[in-house]
Amino acid sequence: MTVNNLNRDSRIARTKKRLLRFTQTVVAILVTLIFAFPLYWMLNTSLKSHEEMTSVIPSLIPAQGLHWENYVDALKTAPLLRYMLNTAYVTILQLVLQLSTGILAAYGFARGKFPCKTLLFTLVLGALMIPHQVTFIPMYILISKLDWVDTFAGLVLPTSVSAYMIFMLRQNFMSVDQSYLDAGRLDGLGILGTIRHVLVPMCRSSVATVAFVTVMDGWNNYFWPKILVKSDEIRPIALGLAMLKSAWDQSIQFQYYNVLMAAVLMSLIPVVILFALNQGNMLSGYSKAAMK
Amino acid sequence: MNNIINTRTAAATRKKRKYSKQNFLEFLCVVPALALILLTAYYPIADLFRISFTNWNMIKPTYEYVGLTNWKWLIDTWEINHVFDSFIVTLKYTIGHMAIILVLGLALALLFNRMTKGFAFMRSVVFLPHYVSMSTAALIFTVILNERYGIANAILEAIAGIRVNWLMDGSLALLMMIVIASWRAIGYDMLIYLSGMQGISRDYYEAAMLDGANGRQILFKITLPLLAPTTLFLGVTQFISSMKVYALADVLTAGGPYRATEVIVYLIYTMAFVDYRVDRAAVVAVCFFVFLLIATLLTMNVSDRKVNYDA
Repeated sequence: MTVNNLNRDSRIARTKKRLLRFTQTVVAILVTLIFAFPLYWMLNTSLKSHEEMTSVIPSLIPAQGLHWENYVDALKTAPLLRYMLNTAYVTILQLVLQLSTGILAAYGFARGKFPCKTLLFTLVLGALMIPHQVTFIPMYILISKLDWVDTFAGLVLPTSVSAYMIFMLRQNFMSVDQSYLDAGRLDGLGILGTIRHVLVPMCRSSVATVAFVTVMDGWNNYFWPKILVKSDEIRPIALGLAMLKSAWDQSIQFQYYNVLMAAVLMSLIPVVILFALNQGNMLSGYSKAAMK
Repeated sequence: MNNIINTRTAAATRKKRKYSKQNFLEFLCVVPALALILLTAYYPIADLFRISFTNWNMIKPTYEYVGLTNWKWLIDTWEINHVFDSFIVTLKYTIGHMAIILVLGLALALLFNRMTKGFAFMRSVVFLPHYVSMSTAALIFTVILNERYGIANAILEAIAGIRVNWLMDGSLALLMMIVIASWRAIGYDMLIYLSGMQGISRDYYEAAMLDGANGRQILFKITLPLLAPTTLFLGVTQFISSMKVYALADVLTAGGPYRATEVIVYLIYTMAFVDYRVDRAAVVAVCFFVFLLIATLLTMNVSDRKVNYDA
């Protein structure tokens, strides 16, 4: 084989490789566009006029100008801000309860020494296998006995503790070296001090991840509110939007779905803000959860 | 005599000292969480079993224990009581959904596995739908799939010259449920697969290169087998969560058309809060619970024995 031949071979290989990379990029862009399309379509629809909504061939951009008044109409049609505040309130309550009970319990199970510790922890893990979708009937009966139907307390109670969070945080608290805790104790830290000044700061990213999961679940929660909520004063946003949809029949009143999409888009704003704030941490956190 | 008493007290204090005051405080730390778990998980599940033996219908204030009557109803009328059908619908949805997200999640992980800024951006776009809730996703797709004015039919008509009724045809509606749920989940699976791939040691690849393995061999003999634990993790968690689907069926199709998308949780909900047959709903819920429990325990068993790679 001559040097020329070798050169040609490597040139072919290089061209092949470049072609492969090019194809990869093109396919990747196409896939990305497909995944983004429904979100774009929501934005597009939210800016169309009522008249344009019912044209037989929907246009890829609003053809009759941008109708921002759909957003105003959405806010007028349903108390969306109220719904969002309700959701935020419930989510924050849930977060505070889950974090306070979860961090304490994770500390107890990771670092404590008391009888039946393994058994009690198994009890916590067992709760992971008892989903709300199974227990919602007795839960509803319990809540109605407490006279908490259609109240914030009733909304929060079933999700006031998270076995998943206890499990995740315990893993992380166990991985902290004992010498840090000893040092803290020498400095006169009690249990709460140790948690606040040693464990939580050292496991910052895990705490942020589980907190983020709780916030997302709280914001998106649909099932339990659907059972419990009857009044606008406590109705969360996910439920409010679905109500808006069922108020407009989808074949006869489709021209109002631009307002619905405007409402949906506004409900996603807090999610987008959280996403932007937490992007890097979030992605690595999710992967860490899977790698355990 | 004195001696004996002394040894006894010493032993007693030693026994007492086994757990210090600090240990008691540590125990107190787990009490609030445990109490709430007992109240929100174990008490309701026990109560559910109890209710399944009553004839309570939520309208009457009183009820009696009727033994296995509801269980007999479930078995005797299985052909007409929709429980079995609903279970099949849920399984179809779950299996279809899982197949799509695992295969495409892995495929996209391979596709997007390039560490440039552009690819990182595209990855986060593909992941973005994960943040959109199931009920919101259903709303967005209601617009896309509308029979008369939706973009889906416009595209289909341009390509194939036909229009279909996406949400009013039974099997098509179920397929659309799978598509919507997968749109939300594929990006997540992709991300987990990508981090699984990064967890595979470079040594394996170097050894394979030295042995002259080609790209396909490396993929099928190294990457895929070593991703088995990742697949198992995704499989187990997502099997359970897709069996529990509710919001999608409620918002998109309300269980219709003709119960074609009536998933099991939707059925239990309807039985309890629309038909007020709490007793029968409890029986179905118990069955569902036992099914999930067995599925979880089985997969945990498999994961302990079979998937044990050092990746």
